[in-house]
Amino acid sequence: MKDETRQPVSDSAAVHLSARQWLCALGLSLGLVWLLPVAWKAFEAFEPVPHYRVPYALSNDYWLYDRWLDQLPPDAIPVVGDSVVWGEYTAHDGTLSRFLGDANGALFANAGLNGLYPLALWGLIEHHGGTLANRRVLLHCNLLWMSDPEADMQLAKEQVFNHPALVPQFTPRVPCYRADPDTRLGRALERRLEPLSWARHLQQTYFGQQSAPEWTLADDGTFPPAYPNTYRLPVGVSGIPLSSEPPSPDRGAASGRHKPWAASQSGQVNMEWVTPESSLQWQAYRRLAKRLKGRGCDLLVVVGPLNEHMMNGATRAKHQEFRSTVATWLDAERIRFVMPEILPSEEFADASHPLTKGYERLAKRLTAEPVFRAWLGQ
Amino acid sequence: MLFHTWPFLLFFIVTIAGFWVLRPTRFWRHWILLASAVFYGWWHPYYLLLVFYSTALDYFIVGWMERGPRLARPGWRMAASVVGVGAVAITGLAAPAGWGGLAAAIVFFAAMLEVGHWLRSRRAWLVVSVINNLSVLFFFKYAGFAIENLNAVLARIGAGQLPSAESLMPPGWEYVLPVGISFYTFQSMSYTIDFYRGNIAREPSFVRFAAFVTFFPQLVAGPIERAKNLLPQFAKFPKIKPGDVSDGASLFLVGLFKKVALANYLGLYVDRVYGDVATHGGASLALATFAFGWQIYFDFSGYTDMARGVARCMGFRLMLNFRNPYLAVSLADFWSRWHISLSTWFRDYVYIPLGGSRVGNLKLWRNLLITFVVSGLWHGAAWTFLIWGALHGLGLIVNRDLEQIAWWRDRCPSLAKRLVVFVFVSFAWVFFRAESFGQAVQILQRIFTTGWADPQMPLLLLLLVVSVWVYQFIYESPLRAWLEKPPMKVALAVAMILWLLLFAPGGGEPFIYFQF
Repeated sequence: MKDETRQPVSDSAAVHLSARQWLCALGLSLGLVWLLPVAWKAFEAFEPVPHYRVPYALSNDYWLYDRWLDQLPPDAIPVVGDSVVWGEYTAHDGTLSRFLGDANGALFANAGLNGLYPLALWGLIEHHGGTLANRRVLLHCNLLWMSDPEADMQLAKEQVFNHPALVPQFTPRVPCYRADPDTRLGRALERRLEPLSWARHLQQTYFGQQSAPEWTLADDGTFPPAYPNTYRLPVGVSGIPLSSEPPSPDRGAASGRHKPWAASQSGQVNMEWVTPESSLQWQAYRRLAKRLKGRGCDLLVVVGPLNEHMMNGATRAKHQEFRSTVATWLDAERIRFVMPEILPSEEFADASHPLTKGYERLAKRLTAEPVFRAWLGQ
Repeated sequence: MLFHTWPFLLFFIVTIAGFWVLRPTRFWRHWILLASAVFYGWWHPYYLLLVFYSTALDYFIVGWMERGPRLARPGWRMAASVVGVGAVAITGLAAPAGWGGLAAAIVFFAAMLEVGHWLRSRRAWLVVSVINNLSVLFFFKYAGFAIENLNAVLARIGAGQLPSAESLMPPGWEYVLPVGISFYTFQSMSYTIDFYRGNIAREPSFVRFAAFVTFFPQLVAGPIERAKNLLPQFAKFPKIKPGDVSDGASLFLVGLFKKVALANYLGLYVDRVYGDVATHGGASLALATFAFGWQIYFDFSGYTDMARGVARCMGFRLMLNFRNPYLAVSLADFWSRWHISLSTWFRDYVYIPLGGSRVGNLKLWRNLLITFVVSGLWHGAAWTFLIWGALHGLGLIVNRDLEQIAWWRDRCPSLAKRLVVFVFVSFAWVFFRAESFGQAVQILQRIFTTGWADPQMPLLLLLLVVSVWVYQFIYESPLRAWLEKPPMKVALAVAMILWLLLFAPGGGEPFIYFQF
């Protein structure tokens, strides 16, 4: 019997490419990798419903965020910001952008993302918001992020926070961000290379926020666990709907969370506040505003409002002091801004998020502001 | 630093650039040495002390071995040495708690060197080198295991307990297994043994020798290179041809795919099953056992492919370490394909000195068992590794007898032989992978006694492994030319690149063999 293993074998695989073959392989790979995201847009339906916002489950899908901004009509006005803009407690049709649109007859688009903060917002707009250029942009400023060193991410103790891929990976240094160099470099690359963002989009949308191999092994969370994807291949998987947000028991007027904050703490909350000079979040916010201005955007900054009802006297004074610093800087940069007066206590859900009524009132107040009207060209 | 991480890519770009810039000078070797120190020190800077100790020890011992017999016996040297050793010993005894261990180690090593100087024979120096190297290896790798077992015996007879290995470390120094210590210790030691045997000449340059021992692509997980192959490559700047770079990149890509796409994926399934043995049935445990066999193969051979690829891009040729081991038709064939650099090391430095196969049956069995038990212990300090080695030794003995049977040798289909070898090797892996002897026994028991419920192994994973196995079958068949056609090679490379970019799970999972 002939023994096939006795023939001389110099290596364990035939994949030894010559320089020319490498050029072919790299050319093909790069071509496919750059082509796939483009082709995917034709393949994957995305028709946002009115008052659309990026679904909560896809908050880390920055490729989708970019795609959402990319398909906005030229006259639409993106409202950019954190969960205050996105609408932490409200349904997608109960947010600031919806009521601004209703009050002004213009299309205001919700360009907020859940879980953002100025350091991450800067990363989002810098790397995934390239289409925000040469247009009117309403930029929200939530001063809550500067209200204590932890929220400002100044503490040296490691913190787990949302959107770590969006914060500065190397400079400026974020003390509480302790990822290893491999993770930092990977994140820095991912946000610069669209194919990698697109791969992340596939993971977020179709594979339960994990890689396709991990998805095939995922359990269903029951005990004893069942593994629904064991015999499925990662093709033709129906993922999270992109164009609309599935109804959530946690958000909207009917949800248990949609209720006024506990007013029993009225005037009791003490916030340390950081100084504007030392604030990482404020520095990031300034970079963001300048960046948008530099891209030719006609900016209007809306500062707050924060829930001053809950603050004690000293905290309120520091808040006002910070607000005036912000106003001074915006003035100096010739950026138009509005500082709406505080909403009624019962229209806040917490320290910074309004309830649906609060958004409606805020939209009306903004609309009444001459600066706002002038900015809108009315 | 791991090959499949971004910092390594940056490190490699800088290293290659410096290497190329320094090529007209003699400093390219210093550059490699520096790069290797950075690469290794990335884990823990104090590891560097050990690797350079091992390197310096063998470098100087070989020097003394060469010059030894011609030296006079200077009385003043002996006197100074005795005083020195005594001073260190007294310092050690007087040292605050925790430093005594280090002082004792220094006294021991110094005393060993003095013995060498005193006896002045090649054999004495060889013994000094082996004892020194193995002592360091023993302390960091086996002391915990040995003390734990000795304490169990002492407790049984009611005697006092030995201090833990951790307590022997100087204050503030962590007792951790230095990455790759078994690899570089064996590599460095083989140089001394080969010189002693007259197989190689002494390397006069310390930098060249240190670059050989610490050469970063193969420092932490092999291949365990022999001085005869790698050391001469440091004699002059290597000729780097375009084919070297393209070949190196090919090796690296294949290795990266093996590690990131295959080994890490298999690891997720294996961890799930082995992490909860009590709730998994026979089919799951059997499949996870086979999966572990493939995981460790992809993990380790992936590492060595990447190591060979990196070295090749720099113009160096490292030895082949894996040759499709799961196509082996016998256990002996398996060991000629699996971790070739280690199996040949044990063959040359343990098995043959014991008498090899040119002895009677009983001695042959003894030699095989000793070699494989030692090989098992090389992998780790636990009874499970010892049993794993012994199983392979016994398997080889049985295999030799099987080969005497004409039907088995000449008529049994090679596919059946391959399956037998694969199943045997896989079941031996149970002892390798299990956390304890008890768990290994539990796994084996459950495989044969519990129901064969759906093992829930992902279809995608199964398809990937089967595809690789089929590829290897074709590669070692007359159809191999088909795999070597350029469109096929390009298609495979593109498929691997796309998979890595789009589907690979994130995270730089460490390599299994780093723990050895």
